[in-house]
Amino acid sequence: MSQAITSSITTSGTTISNRHVLHCRMQSEPAGLERLCRVVRVRGFRIAGMSVECSGEHFEIALTLEGSRPISMLQSQLLKLHTVAEVVLGAQQARSVA
Amino acid sequence: MNGAQHILKAFQQHGITTVFGYPGGCIMPLYDALVGDVSVEHVLCRHEQGCALAADGYARASGNLGVCIATSGPGATNLITGVANAFQDSVPLLVITGQVPAALIGTDAFQETDVLGMTLGIVKHSYLVDDADSLPGILIEAIALAQSGRPGPVWIDIPKDILLTQVNPQAADQQEREGCESAEPRTDSATHNGAIDKDINELMRLLRAARKPLLYSGGGITLASAEDSFREFAEQSALPGVVTLKGIGNPGRHNPNHLGMLGMHGCRAANRAVDECDLLLVFGARLDDRATGKPETFAPNAKIIHIDADSAEFHKIKAAVLTISADLNDVLRTLTLGVKAQPLNIEAWQKQCRTWLTTGGFQAADNEEALAPITGPAFVRQLSRIAGDDTIISCDVGQHQMWVAQHYQFNHPRQHLTSGGLGTMGFGLPAAIGAQFAKPGTAVINVAGDGSFMMNAQELATIRRYRLPLKIIILDNQCLGMVRQQQELFYDNRESHINLDDNPDFVAMARAFNIPALHINRTDQVRRGIETILAYKGPMLLHVAIAREENVWPTVRPGGSNRDMMENTKPAKKKTEENAA
Repeated sequence: MSQAITSSITTSGTTISNRHVLHCRMQSEPAGLERLCRVVRVRGFRIAGMSVECSGEHFEIALTLEGSRPISMLQSQLLKLHTVAEVVLGAQQARSVA
Repeated sequence: MNGAQHILKAFQQHGITTVFGYPGGCIMPLYDALVGDVSVEHVLCRHEQGCALAADGYARASGNLGVCIATSGPGATNLITGVANAFQDSVPLLVITGQVPAALIGTDAFQETDVLGMTLGIVKHSYLVDDADSLPGILIEAIALAQSGRPGPVWIDIPKDILLTQVNPQAADQQEREGCESAEPRTDSATHNGAIDKDINELMRLLRAARKPLLYSGGGITLASAEDSFREFAEQSALPGVVTLKGIGNPGRHNPNHLGMLGMHGCRAANRAVDECDLLLVFGARLDDRATGKPETFAPNAKIIHIDADSAEFHKIKAAVLTISADLNDVLRTLTLGVKAQPLNIEAWQKQCRTWLTTGGFQAADNEEALAPITGPAFVRQLSRIAGDDTIISCDVGQHQMWVAQHYQFNHPRQHLTSGGLGTMGFGLPAAIGAQFAKPGTAVINVAGDGSFMMNAQELATIRRYRLPLKIIILDNQCLGMVRQQQELFYDNRESHINLDDNPDFVAMARAFNIPALHINRTDQVRRGIETILAYKGPMLLHVAIAREENVWPTVRPGGSNRDMMENTKPAKKKTEENAA
């Protein structure tokens, strides 16, 4: 499995989320961002920040995400979207407490 | 040619000969193009959900693409359950809907719904066509995409004006020449290369090191058309094996090492073997919760090797020591060569598993008493004995679905049509219609419950219209049996809104559609009832009154561990809504 996998830590009933940055490149079709954001939500992550640039036929998207599930699982699911070309995990950032 | 005519052209080019649909305002240009067209048979169902589920059944039975068509708004929303059903079970479907004219999108026009937005979670991919010249390319891509890699539904929503617009012939020619390059499956299930050879060698090393290896197969075997290579490997390796609900039929009827279905309603032998094995070889399955039970206690002693077309399934529920995303045929054939060259040394484990099977297989005493009430399991066992080897059984969802899974002996997975992932009540009748169109010379039987049957009963009209010879068997316990069972076992026997003792007269109902029907309620009528409907040339319905209190055994508490299976217990005195108050 990817070394980027992190796990949730539960202390006294508090789930500690991890923060990740994902860089995605996808075809700039009208529903592209909806597809992407839906998968993020359904697979258990919250968007803490998002930037989008359209470069020709592609969106370049930087997602800052919070969640306690392994980020590699989300990467795999995003890559299943037909219009997603690449998903790269950025440097892991500070964890936040949910 | 306009957009609508290009759709029919795409059907012809891709060998699509049967589609299931229902007309309406915004899809009318396509229906106009169908007038006089003889290349495709359009099957008019009586509800759009019936169209989608019939297309699903057509695809499951044939292995080909299923196609359904509906209009905008309610036509599209009625398709949704059927499309979600196909998505959950990885069934290749092409869905075509009309949309309001492009200029009206976003104006809350009559029969306008945001189809693309509301279906994102139930499709492999989708399109809202905004340019008629792009339609030929979209059709090619969608048809290929639905069937490639892990199959699934692809939805094309087309504004009415685009269906009527003439497509630039040069643009269409160019897209058709380019073919489906962009729809090539983008997956790391690469061709058989060096990396996969290395993984298969490692798999074989782990297999030879194991003392208690177990084969676990699911619906992915059929999706990969790997039934023959799977059966060859299962037989040559002589590995004990279990199947998921969608894997039923993978090993055929005669593999002596096959233990049966595992999971919530699996047999004790299968769940015991998973509990005890030291290596679990998972082929074409996603380890879903109905199969694994509580994941933490699933296969606790086993190293898991996971082979599937969809690498996103790896490590999702259980971590695997080795994963291979590849063509299952390639992997299975290589493994077969390996075990042929050097057989596995697992006699003690095989013997143990067979011992478990003798006492922990699916047992159901056949009723001996002629006047005894009919029970679901006994009926299904009798049906299995009488129906032919190639018969297709299309189930609905509930207790009868599990009795079929447990007690019917399937020869091939495409004979068993069942709604596994979504669990869609009302699946069975339209899916049987689709299967009968796919396999016109094959016997098709819809085994339904009384609850499920009423969810798409309007499709009796479709059966009558097309004179389909399929048979319908309703196992009627006058209640929502699976819910009743769970209320009995897990809700202190408090029955809540499960009573269906005011069901219609199903025999009279069938006859109202000009479909002959029979009613039976005693054990001594079972054989004759089954033989009568199977011998009849046309469609026929058999209404079977069964015992209300019969449960599906064994069972596992939802969320519980498969090792904690519950066996048949006498129900406590029923607490109805009235006497509980």
